[in-house]
Amino acid sequence: MIIEKGANNYTLAQLEEIERIEIDLLLEAIYRLYGYDFRKYAFPFVKRRISHRVYKEQLTSISALQEKVLRDSEALMRLLSDFSINVTEMFRDPSFFKSIRTKVIPIINDYPEIRIWHVGCASGEEVYSMAILLQEEGLYNKCRIFATDMNKEILEKAKQATFPLDVMQLYTKNYLEAGGKRSFSEYYKAVDDKVVFHSFLQKNVVFAQHDVVTDQSFNEFDIIICRNVFIYFNKDLQNQVHKLLYDSLSLSGFIGLGQREGVRFTSYGNCYKEFEPSEKLYQKIK
Amino acid sequence: MKFKTKLYMSVGSLLLFIFIIAVVLLNMLEQTTVKMNEVVNDLNERIEMATVMKYETTRIGFELVFMVTNSEEMVHLKAKQDWEESQIKLYEAMESLEKKDTEERAQELLARFKTLYQNYQDIGQQALTAKRLNHKTEFSASFWADAEITRQRMLQIADLLSVLEEQKLKSELFRTKETYNLAVTMIYIYLAIALFIGVGFTFWIIRSMTNNLNKVTTVMKQATASNFEEMPRIELSAKGELGEITVAFNKMAEALEKHSLREKELKEDAKAQSWLNEKIAEIATIYPEVESVPELADLFITKLVPMAGASCGIFYLKEFVNGEYYFKKLSSYAVLNDSDTDIGYRFGESLIGQCALEKRLIILNDVPDHYLKIGSGMGESPAKNIIIIPVIFEDEVLAVIEIASFETYHPLQIKLFEAAVNNIGIKINSILSHVKLEKLLLESQTMTEELQAQSEELQLQQEELRTTNEKLEEQYEALKHKNEEIEKVRGALEEKAQQLEVSSQYKSEFLANMSHELRTPLNSLLILAKILSDNGDGNLTPKQEEYIRTIYSSGNDLLYLINDVLDLAKVESGTLDINTKEVELYEVLEFIDRQFSPLAEQKQIEFAIEMDPGLPANFETDDQRLQQILKNLLSNAFKFTETGSVTLKVQLMMQEMQVKENTRLQQMLAFSVIDTGIGIDEDQHEVIFNAFQQADGTTSREYGGTGLGLSISREIAHLLDGFIEVSSMKGKGSTFTLYLPYVQPGYKMRDQAAYEEAAISLYENHGDTNEDPIKQRTKSNLKNKKILIVDDDIRNVYALTVALEMYEMEIIVAENGREGLMVLEDNPDTDLILMDIMMPEMDGFEAMRQIRSLTKFKTIPIIALTAKAMRRSREECLEAGATDYISKPINVEQLLSLMQVWLYRKES
Ligand SMILES: Nc1ncnc2c1ncn2[C@@H]1O[C@H](COP(=O)(O)OP(=O)(O)OP(=O)(O)O)[C@@H](O)[C@H]1O
Ligand SMILES: C[S@@+](CC[C@H](N)C(=O)[O-])C[C@H]1O[C@@H](n2cnc3c(N)ncnc32)[C@H](O)[C@@H]1O
Ligand SMILES: [Mg+2]
Repeated sequence: MIIEKGANNYTLAQLEEIERIEIDLLLEAIYRLYGYDFRKYAFPFVKRRISHRVYKEQLTSISALQEKVLRDSEALMRLLSDFSINVTEMFRDPSFFKSIRTKVIPIINDYPEIRIWHVGCASGEEVYSMAILLQEEGLYNKCRIFATDMNKEILEKAKQATFPLDVMQLYTKNYLEAGGKRSFSEYYKAVDDKVVFHSFLQKNVVFAQHDVVTDQSFNEFDIIICRNVFIYFNKDLQNQVHKLLYDSLSLSGFIGLGQREGVRFTSYGNCYKEFEPSEKLYQKIK
Repeated sequence: MKFKTKLYMSVGSLLLFIFIIAVVLLNMLEQTTVKMNEVVNDLNERIEMATVMKYETTRIGFELVFMVTNSEEMVHLKAKQDWEESQIKLYEAMESLEKKDTEERAQELLARFKTLYQNYQDIGQQALTAKRLNHKTEFSASFWADAEITRQRMLQIADLLSVLEEQKLKSELFRTKETYNLAVTMIYIYLAIALFIGVGFTFWIIRSMTNNLNKVTTVMKQATASNFEEMPRIELSAKGELGEITVAFNKMAEALEKHSLREKELKEDAKAQSWLNEKIAEIATIYPEVESVPELADLFITKLVPMAGASCGIFYLKEFVNGEYYFKKLSSYAVLNDSDTDIGYRFGESLIGQCALEKRLIILNDVPDHYLKIGSGMGESPAKNIIIIPVIFEDEVLAVIEIASFETYHPLQIKLFEAAVNNIGIKINSILSHVKLEKLLLESQTMTEELQAQSEELQLQQEELRTTNEKLEEQYEALKHKNEEIEKVRGALEEKAQQLEVSSQYKSEFLANMSHELRTPLNSLLILAKILSDNGDGNLTPKQEEYIRTIYSSGNDLLYLINDVLDLAKVESGTLDINTKEVELYEVLEFIDRQFSPLAEQKQIEFAIEMDPGLPANFETDDQRLQQILKNLLSNAFKFTETGSVTLKVQLMMQEMQVKENTRLQQMLAFSVIDTGIGIDEDQHEVIFNAFQQADGTTSREYGGTGLGLSISREIAHLLDGFIEVSSMKGKGSTFTLYLPYVQPGYKMRDQAAYEEAAISLYENHGDTNEDPIKQRTKSNLKNKKILIVDDDIRNVYALTVALEMYEMEIIVAENGREGLMVLEDNPDTDLILMDIMMPEMDGFEAMRQIRSLTKFKTIPIIALTAKAMRRSREECLEAGATDYISKPINVEQLLSLMQVWLYRKES
C-alpha cells in the first residue's frame, strides 16, 4: 500500500479514493506536460505500474512521484517504460501465425503490394516472425512492414534484431508449430549468448515511434496486427483506438488481435467478420 | 325376396326341372327298353317253343313208324327211346308255352294241341302194346291214317301257335316304337316348358333388381348433388342386399351429415385459431428488433390492447428492489391519470400481486362504474371488464398485464391474451438472460484482458528479476575473477620485476643502439676482422688470430641480433616483405641439413631430418622466411640440448586454420623440431613467444641469446598464413611445430584443396561475421558438450567431427539408427544428437521415435539433418521427435548457432 495511514484515520474506501485522485492527477499532469496520454489506460494496470514506480523510486506517495516526474524527465522516461510492457515472443501463439500462413496468405497472395502494420511491436519479435513467414511464402519482396511502438527504447532494441539465446528454444518451437517451412537456424547466427537475426529480414521493415492514443493514422493497410496492446486500455480507449485502426484498414483487410482480445464488445464489432474466430483474426467487411 | 335367393331359385328350379325331366325320360326309356327286351325274349321263347312243337310233332311221325315197324329189337329200342324223348320234349314245350302265353286263343290252341297229343300218344301206345303182344308189325292203313291225321292236326295247331306268337312279336315291336315316339315328343314338350319357365324367372329377377337399383341410384345421385349436411334417405322398400345397401347408405348419409357438421365446427375453430395465430404472429413481429424489456413492454402493450379490442392496459414488470420483488408499472396504454410514482405491488398485494402469486389470470366482469374510467379528450366512461394476466416463464412470474375493456371478454380474446403473454414471457426471459449474458461476457472479457495484462507484467517482472539476478551474479563473478586476476598479476608483476631487470637492460641497450648507423660500422668492422683473420701477411700470432676470430664471430652475432631486432620492428610495423614463390621442399631441407649437420657433429648430438611419405615436392611459400623460422627453431633445439637428438620431421596433414574471418580445414605442412633437451615449463609456453622473453631468468646466463628468435618466428609464420605450436615439459625435451598451409604451386589458396568438396560445403562462408573465432570458441557454451552424430556418410561424419572438435566438443559417432540407439544407451550423458534421416538398417525417423520412447531421452535435443528439397520429411521429423532440423549441405556456422541455441542451459 502506497498511501500510508497518516494521522487521520481514513477508511479503506477513502484511501482508495485518494489514490484514485492522485493517479488521475498524475496522468493528467503527464498528459499536459509531455503529451503522453495514459488517462484512459485500464485503471488497475496503471495503478499497479505506478505503485511499482513509486516503490522503485523509493518514494512514499503518488503525489511525490508526480512531483518527481514533472521536474525530472528521466523519471518520466522510467515511468513511461513501466507503462510499456514489452513482453513478446517470436511466433507468439503459433496457431495465429499458422492461420495467417494458411488462411490469409492465399487471399492476399496476388496483391501487387501488401502493407502491414504492427501496432505495439515491442522488441520486434512479432515483426521478424512476420518477415520470416512472408519470406517463406514468397511475398516478402512486395511487402512493406510498418512496425510501431510508443516506446522509443524498445524500438531501438527491435532494430538490433538481437535476442538472448535462452528464448530461442521456445522461439524455435513456436516457429515449427506455426508451420515454418525451413530450418529456423537459417535466420539467425549465435554470437556469444545472443542470437542475431539476419539483416535481410529488416529489408522491408520500417520501425517508427507511434502512439495509437495520441497519434493519427498514417497509411492504409492490408493487415494490421495489434496484439496484446488493447489489454492495457479501458473500454473507452479501446473504442477510440479501434476507430483509428478501423480507419487505417482497407476494406476486406485483416486485423489480428491478441489471444485474449476481441472486437465484439467494441463499437466496431459489426464492421468485422470473424475470419478465424479461434485466432482473433478479423476481416473488415464494411 | 333376397336377390341371392331369387337367383338360386330361378337357376335352381331350372336345374331341378331339367333334372326331373331327365330322370323321367331316362326312366321311361329304360322301362320301355326293359319291357321290350322282356317281351321280345318272351316272345322269342314262345316262338321257339312253338317251333319245337312243330319240329317234334314232325319227328314223332317218323319215330312212330320206326318204332312200330321195326322188329329188330335193337333198332326198335332205339326208336322207342327217340319216341319217348320227343314225347317229353313236346310235352315240355307245350307245358311251358301254356304257362307263358296266357292268352285265351293260345290256351285254346294249346288245349286242342294237348288233346291231340294225348291221342297221338295213345295211338303210339296201342301200337306198341300190339306189337309186343302180337309181334305184329304190320298195321292197318287206317291206323296209319288215323295217326297221320292226328299228327297233321297237331302240326297245324303248332303252326298256328307259331304264327300267333310271331304276330304277337310284331305287334309288340310296333308298340315299343310308339312308346319311343311318345317319349321324344314328351322331351320336346318338357324342354319347351323348362325354357319358358327359365326365361320367365330371369326376367322376373332382372326386373325386380333393376327396379330397386334404379331407386337407390336415383337417391344416391341426388346425394352427390346435395350438400352433406342434408342427405336424402332411401325408402326401405326392398329386403336382401339392396335392403342392406339402403341401410348402409342411410347410415353413411347420417355419418356424413354428422361429419360435415363437425367439419364446419372445426373450420370455425381453425378460423378462430388462425385469427389468434395471426394476431400472435403480428405481436411476434415486434420481438426481433427489441433488445430491452421496457421497449418490449411498450411495443407489446400498444399492440395487444387495440388488437384485442380492449381500451386500456398496463404492463407491470417484476423488479428486485431492496431485497424484495415488486411488480412495477413499466408501460401503459391509454390509462387516465397515468403516473409512475408508485413503487409497485408486492406478491399478493392488490389484484396484480394476487395474480402473480396465484400464477393464473383474473377476470373481473361488471366492475362498479367508479372503479375505472376510460376516456378521451371528449369524455370518459367507466370500464366494465378487467382482466389481469400473469406473464410466466418456467413457472416463474416475470410480469403482469392488466387490460380493461367496455365489453365482456370473448373466450377468443382471453385465448389471445394467454398466447401473447406466453410468448412474451419467453421473450422477456431471453432478453433478460441475454442482457445478463452480455454483461457477464463483457465482464469476463475485461477480466481476461486484465489477466493477460497482469500476466505480461508478471512476465516482465520475472524477466527484470532475472536480469538483476544475472547482473548480480555476473558482478560477483567478475569481482571474483578480478580478484584472481589481481592476484595473478601481482605474482606476475613480482616475477616481471625481476625479469625486467634483465630484459629491460637488454631491451634498452639494444633499442638504444639499434640503428642503421650501428650496422654500417659493424659491417666495416666485420669486413676488417675478416681480412685480418685471413692473415694474408701471416704476421699475426695465433693468439692474435684467436682474438680476431672472436671479434668476427661476436660482431656477426651482433649483426644477427640487430637484424632480428630490425625484423621484429618491421614485422610489428607491418613492413616486412613476403615473397611467395614456388619452393622445392628438398632444397630447403638440404639447406637446413648443411647448416646444422656440422653443429650436430660438434655437439655430439644426433641430427635427423624425417620426411613423411607423400610429401609434395614443391609448394608455394617464401623460402627465405621459412628457412629463417626453421633456423630459429633448430638453433634453439641445439642450444638447449646437451645430449640426445634433434629431429626435424616434415609432414603433410589436415589442420584447422584461420583464413580471414573463417576457420577452415586445410592441408598443411608441419615442420616439427623435436629435441631431447631441457624442455620448457607448461606455464612458459606462451611467454617464450614474447619478444625478449626467455623461459627463465637464468637462461641467458647459461645459454645466451636475447629471446627474440621465437617471437620473430611466430610473427613470420603468421605472415606466411601459418602458426607455431609448442609442446614440451620441463626436462622432457621440446617439440616446436611450424604449420604452413600447403599451397600447390600455381594455385591460389582459396580454391585449392580437393578435400573441400568432400567436406560438403561445410565451410561455406556466410560473410556477415567478423567475430574472432578464438574468442567465440572460448566463450561459447559448446565446450565439453557431448555430441552424438548418427550418419552413415563417413565424409559427413568426418567433416562434422573435425568442425565440432575445434570447439572442444566431445564427438561420438554411430553409423545408423540402431547403432545410434546403442551408443546413446552407453552414453546417457550425451547433450545433443545430430541425426541423419536416410540411413540403412534403421532410418532417422525410426531412431528418433525409439529414442523418444525412452523416458530419459524425452527432452534431449535431436537435430535432424534433412535434405533441402524434402519439406514433407521435415514434418515427419518433428512428428518423430526431432527438436529442430537443418538442411544439408550443412552450413557450419548455422549448425553452430543452432547448437548453441539447443545446448543453452539456464544456470539455475
Ligand atoms: N628447444 C628448446 N628447448 C628448451 N627451451 C627452449 C627451446 N627453444 C626455446 N626455448 C626457450 O625459449 C626461450 C626463447 O627462445 P628464443 O629463441 O626466443 O630466445 P633465445 O634462443 O634465448 O635467444 P635468441 O634471440 O638468440 O634466439 C629460450 O630462452 C629458452 O628458454
Ligand atoms: C505486450 S507488448 C505486445 C507485443 C507484441 N505485439 C506481442 O503481442 O507479442 C505491448 C506493446 O504495446 C506498446 N504500447 C502500449 N501502449 C501503446 C500505445 N498507446 N501506442 C503504441 N504502442 C503502445 C507497448 O510499448 C508494448 O511494447
Ligand atoms: Mg633462440
